[in-house]
Amino acid sequence: MADNSPRLQRRLKIAAYLLIAGLVIEVVTLYWTSPISFIFFIGLSGTLVALGVIVYLIAIVAA
Amino acid sequence: MATQATTILIILSVIVIGLLVVRPSLMAVPGGKILAFIALFILPITALALGSVIHLEDAKSTDFCLSCHPMEAYGKSLRIDDPTYIPAIHFQNNRIPRTAACYTCHTNYTMFGGLKAKFGGLKHLYIYYFKTVPAKLALYEPYNNRECLHCHAGARSFEETSPHKEMKEQLSANEMSCLTCHTKIHDAQHVDQLKLWKGA
Repeated sequence: MADNSPRLQRRLKIAAYLLIAGLVIEVVTLYWTSPISFIFFIGLSGTLVALGVIVYLIAIVAA
Repeated sequence: MATQATTILIILSVIVIGLLVVRPSLMAVPGGKILAFIALFILPITALALGSVIHLEDAKSTDFCLSCHPMEAYGKSLRIDDPTYIPAIHFQNNRIPRTAACYTCHTNYTMFGGLKAKFGGLKHLYIYYFKTVPAKLALYEPYNNRECLHCHAGARSFEETSPHKEMKEQLSANEMSCLTCHTKIHDAQHVDQLKLWKGA
């Protein structure tokens, strides 16, 4: 595996940004007791975290 | 407590992920790949799982249910100053936990109900934000005696008093509704005309 390949680094950065965004949204929803908060948690945060994890896995498998 | 712990976990995750973004060379050192795996796979999934548990717990809370405007009258009905009103007498005398008052009696009507109830909840959100909420709300199914009996069944004051002891089998089999006699429930449409308890 080429540890420093630009492609791998770019994919890892994308994964990291997606995960950070998803986790920040999750923290906000945890302090907001409302049905719509759950929708944001699952719909937005969950999707971003899932995408981040998938991008990370693709990055390490494809490297 | 769980919310604070999950928040700390998320903050730590974000810090470690940020570190990997700022210093990608960390992944080249021994142990760096393991750190990346933990930061980009294990921690986010763990945070998401814990967040789900917290959200599902929050969905049991009275505040959660009453956060929607159509539920305002139902929340007020818990404070009706009349002991003949079933939700009020239970709420005011701590016979149900006040922080989970709605869920205790409506266990099949929340995110803990079946898939049907969960999708029903999503439908309510859709109607609330994009359609018109009906003036009069009603349960989808008749109220099941199970919701009363999961506390009252086996209690001496219930089992050994009339008329409950005479109709025990009918009540247990849901052939006769508890609400046949206990008719005063939320009365949401008239709650503004009723005296309210100003207690805790």
